Amino acid sequence: MLAFIAGGFVLLSAVRVISGADEITSSGTLAVTLTATMPIALAGLGGLWAERAGVVNIGLEGMMIMGTLGAGYVTYHHGVLAGVLGAIAFGMIGGALHALATVIFGVDHIVSGVAINIIAAGIAGFLAEAWFTDLPGGGPTQSPSLADPGKINLSFLSEPASNLEDKHWFLVSDLASVVEMFTKNLSVLTLLGLALIVGSFFLLWRTRFGLRLRSCGEAPEAAESVGINVYRYKFTAVMISGGLAGLGGAYLALVSTSGFQVGQTQGRGYIGLAAMIFGNWRPTGMFMGSGLFGYTQALPFRDGTHSVHALLLVVAGLLVAVAVIQWLKGSRRNAIISVVLGAVFLTWYLTTDIVPADFTKMAPYVTTMLVLAFAAQRLRMPAADGRIYRKGSSG
Amino acid sequence: MRRMGKIAVIATVAALALTGCGSDDKKENGGSDSAKGPKVGLAYDVGGRGDQSFNDSAYKGMEKAEKELGATIEEAKAAPGENDDIRAERLRTLADAGFNPIIAIGFIYSPAAATVAAEYPNVKFAVIDGYSSTIPKAPLDNLSDLGFAEEQGSYLVGVAAALKTKDKHVGFVGGTHGDLIKKFEAGFTAGVKSVDRTIKVDVQYLTEDPNDGATGFENPSGGKDAATAMFDAGADVVYHAAGKSGLGVFDAVQAAGKGHWAIGVDSDQYLTVDAAQQPFILTSMLKRVDTAVFDFVKAVKDNTAKPGFTVYDLAADGVGYSTSGGFVDDIAEQLNAAAEKIKSGAVVVPTDPAKVK
Repeated sequence: MLAFIAGGFVLLSAVRVISGADEITSSGTLAVTLTATMPIALAGLGGLWAERAGVVNIGLEGMMIMGTLGAGYVTYHHGVLAGVLGAIAFGMIGGALHALATVIFGVDHIVSGVAINIIAAGIAGFLAEAWFTDLPGGGPTQSPSLADPGKINLSFLSEPASNLEDKHWFLVSDLASVVEMFTKNLSVLTLLGLALIVGSFFLLWRTRFGLRLRSCGEAPEAAESVGINVYRYKFTAVMISGGLAGLGGAYLALVSTSGFQVGQTQGRGYIGLAAMIFGNWRPTGMFMGSGLFGYTQALPFRDGTHSVHALLLVVAGLLVAVAVIQWLKGSRRNAIISVVLGAVFLTWYLTTDIVPADFTKMAPYVTTMLVLAFAAQRLRMPAADGRIYRKGSSG
Repeated sequence: MRRMGKIAVIATVAALALTGCGSDDKKENGGSDSAKGPKVGLAYDVGGRGDQSFNDSAYKGMEKAEKELGATIEEAKAAPGENDDIRAERLRTLADAGFNPIIAIGFIYSPAAATVAAEYPNVKFAVIDGYSSTIPKAPLDNLSDLGFAEEQGSYLVGVAAALKTKDKHVGFVGGTHGDLIKKFEAGFTAGVKSVDRTIKVDVQYLTEDPNDGATGFENPSGGKDAATAMFDAGADVVYHAAGKSGLGVFDAVQAAGKGHWAIGVDSDQYLTVDAAQQPFILTSMLKRVDTAVFDFVKAVKDNTAKPGFTVYDLAADGVGYSTSGGFVDDIAEQLNAAAEKIKSGAVVVPTDPAKVK
């Protein structure tokens, strides 16, 4: 996994030097990427918790909407720390509802999730009008401006890094951009989110609690037969899932912008779910998937027509790499297809100077489809994911 | 399992019912029987009231009509992802409920208004920013389009931006890439270039799809990303014509810090932003939607409403720029001179960015 990230980064750096599209690894682009990535990753992490316990959580979008609303209301009245906790609590309400329906009542997971999405959108619209209309700077569809959760600046690191970035050296300047991304205006919530992703990995894969929780998603009957309270684990997991989605909502309302807006999630809950599937139900893969979405979302605004044009070369390079791997594995047909596709992208790159503006906005979706097409063959979801489990069903 | 099925059904029904509360909210001010003035139906596009910009400006005009003409208002707002049929149905609902005139806020209502106006010949319809009267084959005498010379107002704030930029680099963030927002871009660029041809103008639209209002006008984080990119690239004044997404532009200018400016749009946004952001709002391009709405209601009341296009331009005070904050006081002379040239016709501001010289 690390080799994959490093290889991709070297490829990006090489393309930057060849094409001269400096924005593709500039610190500004990376900073926006990180901000765009975090809400998706938090939603994805929420999805991961629920699905590892065997509950499909398509209601993430709704829980995220609840989170934005909670962040808006509680931050305005009680300050930013309470606001973040409020967002988590609001998300958890959604999670509790989903857990009640799916775990206790055995409602189909998709039906319950979709219902929560619809309810949350309705409630948010209704309560926003009731809560924010008469506040100064507020309105029926938005909260007043909200306080920022705080930023971390390590200027003794970020300033030398910034100087190094401006040299535009191969790899060195790109790494400097990464250093700058983590040391300049880094939001406290970003740090919290990253810590939660790492923490979730340890909790789920390195502790007894995590093993038991995952066993509920793989083989609940077996888990019950050894005395695990499956309902309780599932309920806990879905509650945590809602809380994480709510935190993602708080990130949107407090960091991405400075206030609650009706409809500001714009489907990020679903994207988080996709990132989790792309990441094979694992935290690192999920975070990489979110990063990919964040990056392609940020890039169109950073000298988009040139930057996305440079990405064509990256795609060509990736396809060639895939071809080599496939050839070594002995699947010649796939290798040839990859080489031909790579040649198409290379030709496209060489025969044009920029891509049309329409295409830059499409890039996130095209990239996603390409990557998913390659990744989808090796995915394995938890064995009992999405199945309705009844106590005592193991007989 | 059967019980579970029932619960699922109940949950779904409850969900749909609750959604109804939120998204299609309507407010009646005062009883319809007791009202003497006109009963006005106001149909918003996505977002609706609360954008502190375009829609709120329309509402301000209605408030004035309420006070001075004794008008009654019914508001209806849209949900994302609607098509012309749904919009037409909304206008029909208002017409059936006895509202007259019906004012649709936003160019997106044009096809729907043209359809419905033909069905209700006794109800007056108006579309703000619309092109509805160009749609029917035979002109309808109950269908009006209230347009603005946005390019003229944008030209003036372009002049202001050009006079204020220190790095000879400014930016424009547009919502949707359609004919309407192109007028803002064209006027702004023309204004900048009229002061100094060497000033660089970055242009970024949040979506290329002219009908994707959600991504274009309801997307503050996108507006923030776009403006941050411009400030990072060295621009020091950014003008937005992106509705609510513009609130993200203001976040970006605040983060960029002193020496950077943002220019608001439609209403005087200096008055509605957070106090911490006020020092960064250079000026706002005013589009007097409130005037247009009020005038139309009054005209309907007096039976003098004019079908077809009415354009509110600089000479008619339909567009202009704001001076709150006093940041453009030192260049008032140049701005007035530019305004006089437009009014006298000495300068004709282009409406298409491709035609800016």
